[in-house]
Amino acid sequence: MDPLLESRRDLTRRTLLRGGARGLGALALGVLARRGAAAAPGAADDLPHYAPAAKRVIYLFMAGGPSHIDMFDYKPALRQIHGQELPESIRRGQRLTTMTSGQSSFPCVAPMFDFRRHGRHGTWVSELLPHTAGIVDDITIVKTMNTEAINHDPAITYINTGTQQPGKPSLGAWLSYGLGSMNSDLPDYVVMISRGQGNLQALYARLWSAGFLPSKHQGVKFRSGGDPVLYLSNPDGIDAATRRRMLDGIARINAEKHAETGDPEILDRIAQYEMGYRMQTSVPELVDLSDEPEEVFELYGPDSRKPGTFAANCILARRLAERDVRFVQLFHRGWDGHNNLPREIRGQCKDTDQASAALVIDLKRRGLLEDTLVICGGEFGRTIYSQGNLTADNHGRDHHGRCFHTWFAGGGVKAGFEYGETDDHCYNIVRDPVHIRDMNATILHLLGVDHERFTYPFQGLDQNITGVEDEARVVHEILA
Amino acid sequence: MVAALPPLLSALLLGDAGRVEFTRDVRPILSQNCYACHGPNEETREARLRLDRPQARHAEHELLVPGDPAASELVYRLTSADPDERMPPPKSQKLLEPEEIAILERWVEQGAEFEDHWSFRSLKQPTAPAVAGDAWVLNPIDRFVLASLEERGLRPNPDADRRTLLRRASLDLTGLPPSPAELRAFEADGSPGAFERAVDRLLASDAHAERMTLAWLDAARYGDTSVFHADGPRTMWPWRDWVIDAFRSNMPFDRFTIEQLAGDLLEEPTLEQRVATGFLRNNGTSDEGGAIDEEFRVRYAVDRVKTVGNVWLGLTTECAQCHPHIFDPISQAEYYGLFAFFNQSREKGMQSRNGNEPPLVRTPTPDQIAELERIDADSEAQERWLAEAVPPPEALRTWTDEQQALVASLVEPELTAWHSLGPFAHPSQAAAFRAVHGPEEGVDLAGEVDGVGWRERSEFGDGQVHSLGLPNNSALYLHRTLTVERPTLRRVSLGSDDTLQVWLDGEEVLAREVGRGAAADQDFADLELSAGEHSLLLKICNGGGASGFYFDLRGIGLPEGVGAALAIEADARGDAERARIREHFLREVWEPGRARVAAVAALEAERAALAKAVPTVMVMEDLPGGRPTYLLERGQYDAPRTDEVIAPDVPAFLPPLPDDAPRNRLGLARWLVSPDHPLTARVAVNRLWAMVMGTGIVKTVMDFGSQGDWPSHPDLLDWLATDFVDHGWDVRRTLRQILTSHTYRISSLQTPDLVAADAENRLLGRAPRMRLQGEFLRDTALAVSGLLDATVGGPGVKPYQPPGLWNEVSLNKNVRFSPDSGAKLYRRSMYTYWKRSAPHPAMTTFDAPTREKCLVERQRTNTPLQALVTLNDVQFVEAARHLAARMIDAGPAWEQRLDLGFELCTGRPADAARREIMGAVLERERREFAADPDRAAALLAVGDSPATTGPEPAEHAAWTVVASMLLNLDETLNRE
Repeated sequence: MDPLLESRRDLTRRTLLRGGARGLGALALGVLARRGAAAAPGAADDLPHYAPAAKRVIYLFMAGGPSHIDMFDYKPALRQIHGQELPESIRRGQRLTTMTSGQSSFPCVAPMFDFRRHGRHGTWVSELLPHTAGIVDDITIVKTMNTEAINHDPAITYINTGTQQPGKPSLGAWLSYGLGSMNSDLPDYVVMISRGQGNLQALYARLWSAGFLPSKHQGVKFRSGGDPVLYLSNPDGIDAATRRRMLDGIARINAEKHAETGDPEILDRIAQYEMGYRMQTSVPELVDLSDEPEEVFELYGPDSRKPGTFAANCILARRLAERDVRFVQLFHRGWDGHNNLPREIRGQCKDTDQASAALVIDLKRRGLLEDTLVICGGEFGRTIYSQGNLTADNHGRDHHGRCFHTWFAGGGVKAGFEYGETDDHCYNIVRDPVHIRDMNATILHLLGVDHERFTYPFQGLDQNITGVEDEARVVHEILA
Repeated sequence: MVAALPPLLSALLLGDAGRVEFTRDVRPILSQNCYACHGPNEETREARLRLDRPQARHAEHELLVPGDPAASELVYRLTSADPDERMPPPKSQKLLEPEEIAILERWVEQGAEFEDHWSFRSLKQPTAPAVAGDAWVLNPIDRFVLASLEERGLRPNPDADRRTLLRRASLDLTGLPPSPAELRAFEADGSPGAFERAVDRLLASDAHAERMTLAWLDAARYGDTSVFHADGPRTMWPWRDWVIDAFRSNMPFDRFTIEQLAGDLLEEPTLEQRVATGFLRNNGTSDEGGAIDEEFRVRYAVDRVKTVGNVWLGLTTECAQCHPHIFDPISQAEYYGLFAFFNQSREKGMQSRNGNEPPLVRTPTPDQIAELERIDADSEAQERWLAEAVPPPEALRTWTDEQQALVASLVEPELTAWHSLGPFAHPSQAAAFRAVHGPEEGVDLAGEVDGVGWRERSEFGDGQVHSLGLPNNSALYLHRTLTVERPTLRRVSLGSDDTLQVWLDGEEVLAREVGRGAAADQDFADLELSAGEHSLLLKICNGGGASGFYFDLRGIGLPEGVGAALAIEADARGDAERARIREHFLREVWEPGRARVAAVAALEAERAALAKAVPTVMVMEDLPGGRPTYLLERGQYDAPRTDEVIAPDVPAFLPPLPDDAPRNRLGLARWLVSPDHPLTARVAVNRLWAMVMGTGIVKTVMDFGSQGDWPSHPDLLDWLATDFVDHGWDVRRTLRQILTSHTYRISSLQTPDLVAADAENRLLGRAPRMRLQGEFLRDTALAVSGLLDATVGGPGVKPYQPPGLWNEVSLNKNVRFSPDSGAKLYRRSMYTYWKRSAPHPAMTTFDAPTREKCLVERQRTNTPLQALVTLNDVQFVEAARHLAARMIDAGPAWEQRLDLGFELCTGRPADAARREIMGAVLERERREFAADPDRAAALLAVGDSPATTGPEPAEHAAWTVVASMLLNLDETLNRE
């Protein structure tokens, strides 16, 4: 038998043995593993729980807190209270960050941008997003996302890992762990970071970490400039032929060692070295956009020719989806508009609007949108009152977790749909709240995973991404 | 998902007719499937029924009828076909396997007895069991292990060979491979006690202290940055060095515990004991602009409870922060009793993103102490010289006479009141400073500039700072006249906010383009005044904020006492006056004296710079009056139940705090290490066992609670724990016990029989074979290449890492990584600067945690990215280059060279098969590199270290390829 095939079989078996202690107990007790028919190699032993609508996810994470007020949640009534003090009837004792809690005045600010209706259902979209306005018939906009966190570090950790404290696995790591791999020469979870023009909040390795899951499920960063994956290139002076001979020699000695010791882990090591070698070819091929036709760059916009931009990363995301990478997460930084929001949000939207719309269009015409879930949103929204001075052409907005927007496309969600309603001032939710836990439960559901049954034992608890505390709800209303 | 291993152990340990043990076999099943509704948590309990302890008869049915499963409601409910009756209810999605139900039935049949959870029972030293294979036993550990193997008809593996054993012990105890000389000496030493001596040598090494410290750093969540938001730098390495010293001196674990948790509360604590409490300050802290102080202050205390719970108690306490613990008997009030110990700290919630946050202590390094002593000594020597010096009398007399004449000619000028003109607005301070508005050319108090006239400012008296109230970026002129009858020299003292320009009779005498607040004596000007009237003009420009100026007349520029002494006629001067004049001449005028004074000033500056460089470390200090603790609803900082103050206390299921114990961290620390504590010693020795044996006797090293694993060898664990406590918590002794057991010395071969019987090796019939942790892989590469710099301790170092990693995630892109150079590139990996939002990628690829939270066990994974690190990271390629040079040095024959490489990396020379494989590669690469010298040169230029002279480049490059392969062999990457 081919040693690689054999080792893969070994690997699967070992996942049963080690990855899930459940598997081990079950084996020892002679219980047959209940394995889903569509399971991929390395998948946890009973996943997926049911037929998935989506096979993969592209998550466009807008880091810093985009303003729902200026982008999607159009409220004409806000224009009537522009410049007036925020009424307590709206604020209702909300906990404010200490950046503005000491302000003597909280003047309300209506958006400084025009809104128009678009698509079949007349969806309101800000002039900041002309391209997204063009795809409203393909997406579901949820306007009632909410979170308890009011500052970046806790909020971004919360939405990405299910808790405000470090130490838990990220959503992508959970999916990599649970659903296994669909391709043999790329990682299951890829992260790309781009930088916008606004106030840049920090990111943290924990946002794509594997937490207590095996570290191979952590997000692998693809980077522009230098090695696209850390340590990918052969060192100077080692060419591909030498590298091949080295790997062959290492594998032969490792096979000797396997014969001497009987340690099956050695076969896995040989396979991992081979996969590393394949990545040395597959990743550079993947990030080399020279085979993309001109019209693709036109679709994604002029920035898409510049490596490292959000637009270029969107093309890479599509290429990763084509190669069946399970979870691709783009972080675009700079949405934290405390002081110069009108100027900054124009830049942020210019960076992201065309390319994210293009991604949906591109996936759709390639037939990939059906089973690829695209998500676009941040960690919270922004206040309707001004942080700092409100002038004719400038203002800021502080953090607001009570409501914010996120849009979804493809992968089993409705096309051309809006969900949830906020009050006349887009401050509080009046109908259909979607907590960030609910969103994560819904994402898992779309991938065929029941968030309550998808657990991993750590420190005495069956841990999961939606937390052990509060109920999370799959938002069936947005499912196609 | 079933929590953990107990079912397997049941299957493994139970045998066919074996007796069911409640805590081992029954409780895990109940805990996993039933306790969420029928466990210790009152709030979630349904039907007033609990299954974690014996209960009075249930209202209607007999829940448990000892000896009669069929009559027991429990069994009926588990097996009922009726979905309304069946337990667990279908909606819980929990499902007991038939085998699990069978275990519960058997338990009822055998009497349905409840027991306390095993790890909460008090410690008693068990007797080591008798075994058939007495000859195999080297110490009591072996009896426990062999007995359980014999019980199942299994035999331990034969002994590992001597080279393997020494390599194993070296890697386990120091994280570094043995040298060829050590291997050969040990192989040759057949005398009794040879291995024991080797173990003692390793235990006494600095490398061992470093290895122990590295493991502790994960538990202590140590980092060089603050974690939250900006993740700014902090200095905690003096605490880390305290840990190294503690392990170096084999500090007993009880003292190690007390000093880290409560060193500050000991009577008259030493500096070291206060530094030790840095353990508790290693938690992440926030500097986020919008953060609420109290929210984070509470989080820090929560983190400390969690850490102490994980590390000493082996319990997860954090569930009880928000609700009663579902699985373990910790109520919410008891949680806040623990929390209360840590709720007394006086530090703030909002902390710095730039260095250490008080409370802290200063911790000069030995080098800095020596340097301070040298500065003191030098400075004292200079002062002594000055005290003893005698200036030449002639020069002193000449100078004194000259100065006396000047003082005698001193004239008090007549001063007019100040007049001001302005302010004049400008776009910047610089523009204001450069602008010329006219007065510079000549002042006409009656004239106007830009429609503005001069204004009298008689309120500006001399010798005081006056506020000017200038707008930002504006200029103001001030003018007055000085009239003297005779020529004189006068010094004036000036101050300004911000810039200052001075003209005397239209001549610029001073120009200072600065930003500052006004004060006396910021500048001096010596004005030579002829008889008559003089025009003095000042221009002040304000860059922003406050503005002001200062003016005063000061004699001829000599200190007041000296001037006064000179004003007295020579023969009328007393000793004091003469001494003052002489002193001034000696220190300020006479060149040799001035040089010494300057030297003293330079030493002072050095001392100040050094004082700035002396590191501090954050430590624990409690608020003097204490802080009341309340139960926080749902764990929320802003929802305290203020009707009841919760006193610091320990949970009731553990031994009580002694009555006379202080109710503070010191009381808690002493309680943890009291000899009758059931958990601390068990948890500690289990961690030591896991460190060298790969897996704990309790596999879940962080969880000794009811969801944790049953120990594979409960009596062995208790024997090790009591041995540990009875011998003064001696860490080295316990390690020595483990390493010198026969159990440790057997081979790691995986024979089909043993694997079939015990795939996971829970019975220890073979030694574990495991991949080295990331730090040890890098350290091994550095050691075998000869690059390793073995310096112990000091600030974190920044070895190679790919560019841009910090910057791409940092707050407003203002943190950049710049690598160190020279020896710092080759320090042991435990010293690598640990930035917790972006830790070194080569280490996280090998499962290093971010250390944002306490973590006692690491994963051991096997991934393609790991292969890319050891094949391509400049650190490893450079090491291969130096290893190659070392191999070439071994002798002329290629076989000799290869053997050395193998011996360094794997502990043994190459056998025939390996020689053939490597020989073929070597041969081929020699040809390839000879044909392509540029490629050879490129490979040999990898890394900062200078090229090795000597070997011919193609030869050196070919060997570098071989060396890189050696560093990537499974047998190099693994401890066998």
